[in-house]
Amino acid sequence: MGFSSKQMMGLGVFLFAIFVGVPLLIGATGRWDFYFTLTSVALLAIASAGVWLTFYIGRINIGQGAFALIGAYVSAILVVKAGWSFWLSLPAAGLFAALVAVLIGLPILRLRGVYFAMITLVLTQVVTLTALALPITNGAKGISNIPLPSGLSLFGIPLIPDFGSMENTKLAFYLTACILMVVTYAALYRLVNSRLGHLCRSMQQNEELASSIGVNIAYIRIVIFAISSFFGGLGGAMFGSIAQSVYPSSFQVADSVNFMLNCFLGGLGYVFGPMLGTLVLYFGWDLLFEFGKYQMLIYSTLLILIIRFLPNGLLSIRFSKGDKS
Amino acid sequence: MEQILANGVYLGSQYAMIALGLTLIFALMNVLNFAHGQMYVIGGFVTYTVYGQLGLPFVVALVMSCVTLAILGALIEKFLFAPVIKGSAREESTMLLAAGIAFFLDALILIIFGEKQRGVPKIVNGVFNYDFRLIMPYDRILICGLAILSIVAFIGLMQYTKTGRALRALAQDRTAAQLMGVNVDRYSMIGFALGAMLAGLVGGLLVTITGVNLGMGGPTSIKAFMMVMIGGAGVISGAIWGGIILGFMEAIGLAVLSQYGDITYLLIFISLMIFLAIRPQGLMGKPWG
Amino acid sequence: MQRRTLMKAALTAVTLTALGTSAAVAENPVLKIGFVGVTSGPAAAWGISNQRSMETRAAWINETGGVTIGDTTYDIEIVSFDDQKDPKRAIAGMEKMAQEGIHYVVGPNVDDGAAAVRPVAEANGIMYFPYAFPKSLYEPPASNAVLGMVANYQSGPAIYKYLMDEKGVKSVAFIAANESDPLSQRDGGVAAAEALGLDVVSANVTYQVDTTDFTPVLTPVMRTRPDLLVLSGVSPANAPQLIRSARELGFEGIISTETAQDAGVLAEGAGDLANGFISVGGASTPELASPMMNEFVQRYTDMFGEYNDESNTKVYALEYILETLKADPAAISDVDAFKTTMDSFEAPNPYMNGDAKLRYVGMSSFGQKRQVAVPLVVNVYKDGAFETLFVAEVD
Repeated sequence: MGFSSKQMMGLGVFLFAIFVGVPLLIGATGRWDFYFTLTSVALLAIASAGVWLTFYIGRINIGQGAFALIGAYVSAILVVKAGWSFWLSLPAAGLFAALVAVLIGLPILRLRGVYFAMITLVLTQVVTLTALALPITNGAKGISNIPLPSGLSLFGIPLIPDFGSMENTKLAFYLTACILMVVTYAALYRLVNSRLGHLCRSMQQNEELASSIGVNIAYIRIVIFAISSFFGGLGGAMFGSIAQSVYPSSFQVADSVNFMLNCFLGGLGYVFGPMLGTLVLYFGWDLLFEFGKYQMLIYSTLLILIIRFLPNGLLSIRFSKGDKS
Repeated sequence: MEQILANGVYLGSQYAMIALGLTLIFALMNVLNFAHGQMYVIGGFVTYTVYGQLGLPFVVALVMSCVTLAILGALIEKFLFAPVIKGSAREESTMLLAAGIAFFLDALILIIFGEKQRGVPKIVNGVFNYDFRLIMPYDRILICGLAILSIVAFIGLMQYTKTGRALRALAQDRTAAQLMGVNVDRYSMIGFALGAMLAGLVGGLLVTITGVNLGMGGPTSIKAFMMVMIGGAGVISGAIWGGIILGFMEAIGLAVLSQYGDITYLLIFISLMIFLAIRPQGLMGKPWG
Repeated sequence: MQRRTLMKAALTAVTLTALGTSAAVAENPVLKIGFVGVTSGPAAAWGISNQRSMETRAAWINETGGVTIGDTTYDIEIVSFDDQKDPKRAIAGMEKMAQEGIHYVVGPNVDDGAAAVRPVAEANGIMYFPYAFPKSLYEPPASNAVLGMVANYQSGPAIYKYLMDEKGVKSVAFIAANESDPLSQRDGGVAAAEALGLDVVSANVTYQVDTTDFTPVLTPVMRTRPDLLVLSGVSPANAPQLIRSARELGFEGIISTETAQDAGVLAEGAGDLANGFISVGGASTPELASPMMNEFVQRYTDMFGEYNDESNTKVYALEYILETLKADPAAISDVDAFKTTMDSFEAPNPYMNGDAKLRYVGMSSFGQKRQVAVPLVVNVYKDGAFETLFVAEVD
């Protein structure tokens, strides 16, 4: 694929910033608590990327919390009950979430607009209630005391160190989350600029028309929804491992709604929109911590002002000066 | 059995009223108003303050709730929703605005009215008890009656007044209504105010039964969404049916499935998903969604 | 009226805090104590009563010259973090506390949050005082959490036993919200009731957290005609509605819960129907409250416009932290010293009449002393206020 040198530069700066700049900055300022916040942002951004992808085929997805919760539980159960390595359970969690997405997606992807939004919202509640009712998820008691990710080595060469023996896991989790995020967004970027991406755009415009020119829309919808849920499962599994516990309330309706809001805030038209949206929404709350009881009031006021004056998302600033396309 | 039916009618009538306001706003502007539940809570708190704290008559409190919410709704529409709808490339962006408003109202309610559960003195005392087969406190019967009356009045308003006709035209086809000389901006505002007012009214009515606390907003919105989806988005009769159906589903489900307590709602939600999968536009909705 | 007093109180609070902090800089070094809990959204009542208790006590201490630990006199500053009842936020909150150099934190308020913050607390040397009941938080190998109140599996048996002996209760029904904390508490309650030989006639009925109308939920429970109805882990918002619905459905037995409630909320929401309702409280009933407790209630009311009876159980955590630090000043930055001191710590309980003691307990429940000894005060509601039913001790 042809990248302009400007794009390559931007990418380089971005990678340098998150992998070198942030740790240096945190080391210099001593704000160690930002590691967890930024780790959260990276993981939530992964899940939000999935939601953004479903927006890309014209579906409002308020169900990502369900898949994040599924991912968190699958990983926790595999690690705690089956004794798997966390690093194996991570893709397994994503794949399981994707499998569930295929099964559920078959009937519900026919729905559109607010109906799809609503059914995914209900899905979040269904998964929470299922987690409360099933024995394998430990019901209301949740799964706690999950061990930290163990080391992973291939043919005796250590690939990933043992988190349990680390002095400080914050940096390790931060780097893992950032690598995952970079891979996710690279995949997303690749997908959007592939043939599949073009087909998705045509579906977003008009499904009937796309279908009439021979696009297998049912197949594409399922594939996209599965990928989207895979991201959700990944993010959720990683979170479970940081918190070392999973409860039915670890991801709930509020999370599903937040994932969607991240996409809106960043801008639906931009691949990196959800990443920026997550950063602003999640980090913003933390930064307003000083305001105490007025934190929520100020936070929501800022949110309203942003959407009032930038209804197409934060990234739309960049383009509002130049051409209107 | 009688008890289940009575519970269903009671739940259904109050649910239908909550869903009505939401669906009206959706029909007019294609806005899924996440803040609907918060408006309902504000309605409850206004009635609590006027009737419970200041000791004015209940009817005055109800009117105050309606007026407060109508003004609030009109302001929100004029200064927030209308400009955002005009400026955004995809109309779903209003969901972010609606969510922001919901957060904002939640924060406002917490600061003004506090975190505690609030309740008002009963408006009527006593319990109707028919041989322990049908038990219904009188205040519930009264509120249920008032709710049904309000619904009928609302339908009448939509059917037989000029405003109602304009609103219906707007809901059906915005562009056509504009061409026919309907002042779209003005009626959008009126419609939004009316929807918010309904939320305030039902909040004021129900505070006498359930009390009110700041946490009720979000869940109420979600429940209202479900009713609207069951009936069909943006269709007035659909919202009423959706409310009644959900009310009966809860009443029957809770009675029949009580032994399996933990999964009653799970089954309600799953059946809702199956229903929507089979009938994607709800009972009587238009397939566009 | 109401609003104006609230506003006035809020303004006073703001000014007080402003004055307090500026004065603090001038005079004493500041000792920061953290609070991580939910102070917005549906469960705001839990965290807010907690946070306000701490702020009231801190302002009071600072006004009277601070607290002397070792050779230094400190002013207390409460650093609060709103976790929105989200375990992910709770972790961020605990990180924030570590960042502020805080070693003693009160909260979180719920099970999932308390479990989620454990890795952070242990990695950063923070002792935290959750209001959550899972035993795994307090049993070895966990060692940094201290249960800040009486757990339901401790108070439940005491209440049931009392009711069996005194009121002839034979059958019991449980009802709980379909959510982690209440369901766990229900399971604990059922086990306790069965161990005592009570006939558990209904334990499966649950309600959604957002339920506002409990008549349909309670109808099947009432059919089983229990002598005692236990509202497991009921939130203060739901309690009056449940009581009202049960009574209106003709229930004549006893209703009880193992969580703390607010008399004002019960009075508004259920009125006379709440008479006889049994709940667990701290020491603010007139018989038990010491002059210091009464002053605390007065100061809380002055500061925030209205007291919340839930604070009766929440006044203790901060007191325990400070008193233990006084007993061993080295613990101020070293939680291992704190843990050692916990085993032998004892001080008079200033909030209760009589010779009650502040000490750490929990050997029989957790195998180590990881619980504050709050007097187990069982209250009964009568005409707008609580009366003491009986007082017991937890070991």
